[in-house]
This record gives sequence, C-alpha cells and structure tokens, in this order.
Amino acid sequence: MEHEDGKTDETDDAVNGSLALDTTSLEDIRDVPANMNAFLAGIERRAWRMAEIHLGNRDDAMDAVQDAMLRLVRHYGEKPAGEWTPLFWGILRRRIVDLQRRRKVRSIIVGWIGGGRDDEGDELPSWDPADDAPDPSARLQDSQAYGDIVEALRRLPRRQREAFTLRVMEGLDVAETAAAMGCSDGSVKTHLSRAMHALRDQLEAWR
Amino acid sequence: MSQNDRNLERRARDLYLRASRDVDPAMAGRLRAARRAALAGPRESIARRLLIPASAFAMVALASLIVWQPGGGGTAGEPTAISQAMDNEPNDLPPDADSADPTLYQNLQFYSWLAYADAPSAAQRK
Repeated sequence: MEHEDGKTDETDDAVNGSLALDTTSLEDIRDVPANMNAFLAGIERRAWRMAEIHLGNRDDAMDAVQDAMLRLVRHYGEKPAGEWTPLFWGILRRRIVDLQRRRKVRSIIVGWIGGGRDDEGDELPSWDPADDAPDPSARLQDSQAYGDIVEALRRLPRRQREAFTLRVMEGLDVAETAAAMGCSDGSVKTHLSRAMHALRDQLEAWR
Repeated sequence: MSQNDRNLERRARDLYLRASRDVDPAMAGRLRAARRAALAGPRESIARRLLIPASAFAMVALASLIVWQPGGGGTAGEPTAISQAMDNEPNDLPPDADSADPTLYQNLQFYSWLAYADAPSAAQRK
C-alpha cells in the first residue's frame, strides 16, 4: 500500500471503514445489462455528470462520454457484459485526463501567443472553451449542495477526485475502481482516504 | 468510518444520482444520439470490412479482363466486328507523315525531277 505522507494508521482506519460503503440507491444501477445498448443507456447520464465534474465544461464532458462509448463498443463489445462497467469508467477516465492535458497545452500556447496579458497588461485567464448553456445545477432542487460538493471535488488532486467519484459516487468496488484508475487496490484506498479527509474539511457545513 | 463520513458519502452519492437523472433534455438528446452513433459504428466497419475485399476482387477482375482480351486467342486471324467496321469506313485523310513509308517521299522527288527533266525535251520536240 502507498503511504506517501506517512499517515499509515489513520489511512488504514479510514480505508477499512470505506470498504463498508453504504450502497444506498446503487443497487438499481449495478445490474448486469442485457446488451450494450441497455448498458450505455443506463450509464450515459451518470458518465456525463462524472465527466462534467472533472472537466468543468458541458461540451468537453459530452465529447469525453461520446468517445468513451465509441471505444467501449469498438474494442470491448465482445467482452462479457459484467466487465463493461470498470472498462467503461477506465476509458472515460483516460479520455478526461487526455482532455485536461490538451487544455493545459492550449493554455500554454495561448499564453505564448498573447503573452498571457491583455492590452492593459492584466493577466488573461487560462484558456477555457465557451460554455453559454445555463448551469445544470440550477435545475436541481438541491442545487446549492450539489454545487458545493462539485466545487470541493474540483479542488482535490486528480487521483483523489477519481477515487472518490468512482468508489463513493459511482459505487464501484475497490477492485473495479483500481482497474478503472489503472492502479493497485492499495492506491485506491489511500487516495480515497485522503479525499475523504479533504472533503470533511471543505464541507464542514454538511455535518 | 464515522456517522458523519457515512452521511457525507450518502449525500454526495444521492446528489450525483439525482443530478444524473435531471440532465436537461437537450443534453439527454445529445447523449442518446452519441449512444446510437457508437452502436452504429461497428456496423459501418463490418460493412467496410466486406466492401474492401469486394472492391479488391472487382479490381482484379477488371485487370484480368484488360489483360485477357476476349476472342483474342482462338480467332487471331479474324477481325472483330469493330475493326471490320473501321476498315469499311472511307479513308479521306492523307497518310500520316510519321507512319508513311519514307521511300514514298523519295519516289515523289524522283518523279517530280523526271517530270521537270522531260518538260524541255517535250518542248523541243514540238
């Protein structure tokens, strides 16, 4: 197990607790699908929300989900349906990381071209595609709370955010989360523990 | 895990699932279209997989037709209908200088000299 910050005991305690994850309202989304269409139909909206949390942009999230669907069908359509879930989340995670890296490169290039400063010498914001659509969270009855958790998640390091969203929000087990993240079970537990610790601090008002 | 942590997990998950259910209709439509496109993708590639050998076969067949001219083997001496028709057409054009026999032009020069040489003797005879 990874112990990068030396908080071995605290991490393990938290991890063991997390293994007994409360699976309320997850049962209906974990049934083995009858076919690929049913699988994608059941997961597509959650996948888009997940991508939106990580990317912070609706259209980029849409691109990531579309590409993940295409790759799953093309490369893993012949696999047993029970394996599709971790495969899909793994593909989507990689697409999200690709888009984040591409966006970073664009920011650097825009910085080089424009010098990162406007005519008055003020620093320009980093490049971000236009997103004129209304905030989807405004449609939610509990939109403020959803906005809080999304904001808190976006402040987390990427691996911690991935561990929390896949393990807690999407309800994958530790092995599936590890497969989707491309790391060991121990790393998942460590990232998740740290994410929980950070979120506890950030979401003090939720207690 | 403390009760607070359980509450945090449950609440985060509930909000996420609710937000996923409440995706706006426009985005839901785009997701449906993306799913259909993804599912249609392999069918296209299967069609392409069948089309590539078919077109290759057609190319080979065309090439062999060009190389092996029908009727050219057993009836080499007999002109085809097309060549017969061409032979029957009146040939009004002068012979091509490149393809004509060079001795023809030598002979023409000789005959023109002969005609010129014969002309004074014919006049003297008169």
